[in-house]
Amino acid sequence: MSTPTLSVSDLRVGSPFNELLHGISFDIAAGERVGLIGESGSGKSLTATSVMGLLPETLAASGTIRLNGVEADLLTAGERRLNSLRGNTMAMVFQEPMTALNPLMRVGAQVAEIMTVHRTEKGRRQARDRAVELLAQVKLPNPAEAALAFPHQLSGGQRQRVMLAMAMANDPQLLLCDEPTTALDVTVQAEVLKLIGNLVTDRGTALLLITHDIAVVAEVCQRVLVMYEGDIVEDGPVGRVLTAPQHPYTQKLIAASDLSSVDDRGRLHTMSMPVISTPRAAASSPRPVAADAAAAPILPPHRAAHQRLEQGGPPVVFNEVAGVPAISVRDVSRQYRRRGGGLFAPAPIVHGLREVSFDVGEGQRFGIVGESGSGKSTLMRILCALDQPSAGTVDVLGQSIAGASERQLRDFRSQVQIVFQDPMGSLDPRMRVRDIVAEPLRNVSRADALARVEAQLNAVGLDADVMHRHPHQFSGGQRQRISIARALITRPRVLVADEAVSALDVSVRAQVLNLLADLVDEYQLTLVFVSHDLGVIRHLCDTVAVISDGRIVECGPTASVYDRPLHPYTRQLVSATPSMRDLARRAAN
Amino acid sequence: MVFVVLRRLGVFATTVVVASVVTFLMLSILPGNAARIALGVQASEADVAAQATAMGLDRPAIVRYLDWFGHVLIGDFGTSTVSRQAIGPEITDALGITVILVLTSVVLALLFAIPFGILTAVRQRKPDGAILSGISQIGVAVPGFLAGMLLVTVFAVTLRWLPAGGWVDPGEDFGGFLEHLILPAIALGSVQGAVLSRYVRSSVLEVMREDFIRTARAKGLGAGPALFRHGLRNAAVPVMTVLGLQIATLLVGAVVIERVFSIPGLGSLLLDKVALRDLPAVQGIVLVLVVFVLALNFLVDLAFTLVDPRLRSAA
Repeated sequence: MSTPTLSVSDLRVGSPFNELLHGISFDIAAGERVGLIGESGSGKSLTATSVMGLLPETLAASGTIRLNGVEADLLTAGERRLNSLRGNTMAMVFQEPMTALNPLMRVGAQVAEIMTVHRTEKGRRQARDRAVELLAQVKLPNPAEAALAFPHQLSGGQRQRVMLAMAMANDPQLLLCDEPTTALDVTVQAEVLKLIGNLVTDRGTALLLITHDIAVVAEVCQRVLVMYEGDIVEDGPVGRVLTAPQHPYTQKLIAASDLSSVDDRGRLHTMSMPVISTPRAAASSPRPVAADAAAAPILPPHRAAHQRLEQGGPPVVFNEVAGVPAISVRDVSRQYRRRGGGLFAPAPIVHGLREVSFDVGEGQRFGIVGESGSGKSTLMRILCALDQPSAGTVDVLGQSIAGASERQLRDFRSQVQIVFQDPMGSLDPRMRVRDIVAEPLRNVSRADALARVEAQLNAVGLDADVMHRHPHQFSGGQRQRISIARALITRPRVLVADEAVSALDVSVRAQVLNLLADLVDEYQLTLVFVSHDLGVIRHLCDTVAVISDGRIVECGPTASVYDRPLHPYTRQLVSATPSMRDLARRAAN
Repeated sequence: MVFVVLRRLGVFATTVVVASVVTFLMLSILPGNAARIALGVQASEADVAAQATAMGLDRPAIVRYLDWFGHVLIGDFGTSTVSRQAIGPEITDALGITVILVLTSVVLALLFAIPFGILTAVRQRKPDGAILSGISQIGVAVPGFLAGMLLVTVFAVTLRWLPAGGWVDPGEDFGGFLEHLILPAIALGSVQGAVLSRYVRSSVLEVMREDFIRTARAKGLGAGPALFRHGLRNAAVPVMTVLGLQIATLLVGAVVIERVFSIPGLGSLLLDKVALRDLPAVQGIVLVLVVFVLALNFLVDLAFTLVDPRLRSAA
């Protein structure tokens, strides 16, 4: 075997008090595509920044990093030498395309800069022309125009394409990608991953792709490294690692990532549980739904509803429920007036939602899935009376909430509770946990409130002694448990969850999803779960509505929608999020 | 882009009108009768009434306001009740001096604050950075008039390099003009410079942590070039906000500094006229000061749109 493009041996990174990487070693051959997976804090980003020589000043690295034929040891190379390698022999793409580009500089100029810095093009004009070519290669529409755009004028996926154009400009031998698609919608993610795969294969670039998402690795890479607490615990071909993981951590990680594999109680595998993989049959429903079916709604054949929608007939009421539904939404539209427009011209109107109608039956688990900008957050806000529809009616638990005053909503507020996405941002950092959880309670004595807080914290799996601490002292999963405790303390009948597990690591995600499923059973809640993640919704919900461009394009029983999608958009969405079994099969071939 | 400028201009004009109404009302509701103030306490009721008619004070407030503001728009600020001369030319002369003083001190403040702020940010973890940062803290704490008196003591009284006060018109003697300008401009600008350098420092520190700086480093730019090519323009945005807010403080400072250095600017004129209770003049000067602040803020807003493309379409 020839010299590897990247050779890392015994890499240790840490501050004087705390070692974060414990002597990791790996090689990447020329043109090889390697994935590096692990959860947050496992050290995967540190590995990449060490290779690039961009570690924070407070951290020191030891060991050796060799880049094929270019430098004996990157860790001891001088700053000037490193500058000539970065962006030239090795290039990096970062996670947040939003913040990774300079907001005040045209993107064409930012791409051209990497060539003028390394003098790989003769002059400014040549570099600019080449930048436009590169933007065309990453399949940006109208590359000449796009080159003149500022980053805020591009979408997230387009910005990530610009980052890729930049990284590939000087034909690097090694490309490092740190969570390149994490902030993107699933369909955009699929396109960008394909692009990355094509670019590195065409040019024979070695790739190190860092991600927390096993599906991303399976999509692009040949080999995978699994990181756990600063060590590489497994290293092997993707197909083998997915189907026959060796290390216990990898086994658990893969089991927890697999939302279609559940235990006897219909709960996901978590990291702390012994793993016995029992993939359920494709046809069987994710959980016993007999109780729900008996409780009420006879679902109308959603296929008929879909047909009517396509023919442009009268507005369709999705998931119509006989009797009194928990939530009833009719012809709800929401328009926004965008700021701007001319001095006299009216500001343009943006349609957040267009004539949406559906029911959610008592005790149903209703999933709303869509990509960013689809209107799912607007719909969630309207259901919680945090926003008012421009037209249409919303009845929740028999009460009309469109246009209701805050006083009229007092009862509603205790009946309908919300769990938000960001468990850090949605908890007041200056309040103690007991006050956060007790806050929704009204007319309850202090002693009573404390007793209820304690009971509620126990119910979400937290000890009572966390009551006196502040939110920053908890991990993401624990904070989400606190949010859930706060939501449930008023004994609501409806629980609305907005991307409630999107910010969590897979292992924690499985735990929180199990907790939610338990609590929904125990408290007999009606659940509305809003997410971009089809897998999560498939696991948790019995009914799903797919929303795109402000409209519900498809709605029906989860298994039916996923296995036999009717709308082209749903089909696109489903194919962009393959299940673990699909991935394993694909990787094996 | 044109629309954004026009809109800002519209906001500016509206604010000027509102400011004129407020100025007019404030001086109208002050206790005392302008006619009696003009004639003095000895005057008879009949004389006061005649004076009031002559000054137009018997007309309704709205008519008086429109008459006053209408004339102000064509540069006529009315007649002084004390000197019985037109107020306009006096204000224009004083305004010219104050504008020169304030703008010079802004330029000096920026010339000091930008390099100093960047230096303290870049050297943040080094001992010299900490020392420099401490010096700017002291600068923030020293009031402008004290700095002025210290400068006079050192450079005018002890060293006799520069005059202690007074003013020379640049058209008359440019060298003399500069000699008279330098100490008051430094006194006025030093505090602003110290305050601004704090903001430059925190703004640069913030920017150095941004993802796009890391991107620039990953492209192969060194730490310095990355900061200069990508960081400084981004760091300028919050600093400009502070600069806009500081301008009002700067004018208040100018009123004091003009006294300390006996410069015949707007501040001196205002204090003189207040002492004489020359209400029409006070009203005119206050309005000019307000418009001056608004105009500078308008320019800062325009500069914002030039620096930040996101504001060109959105705002």
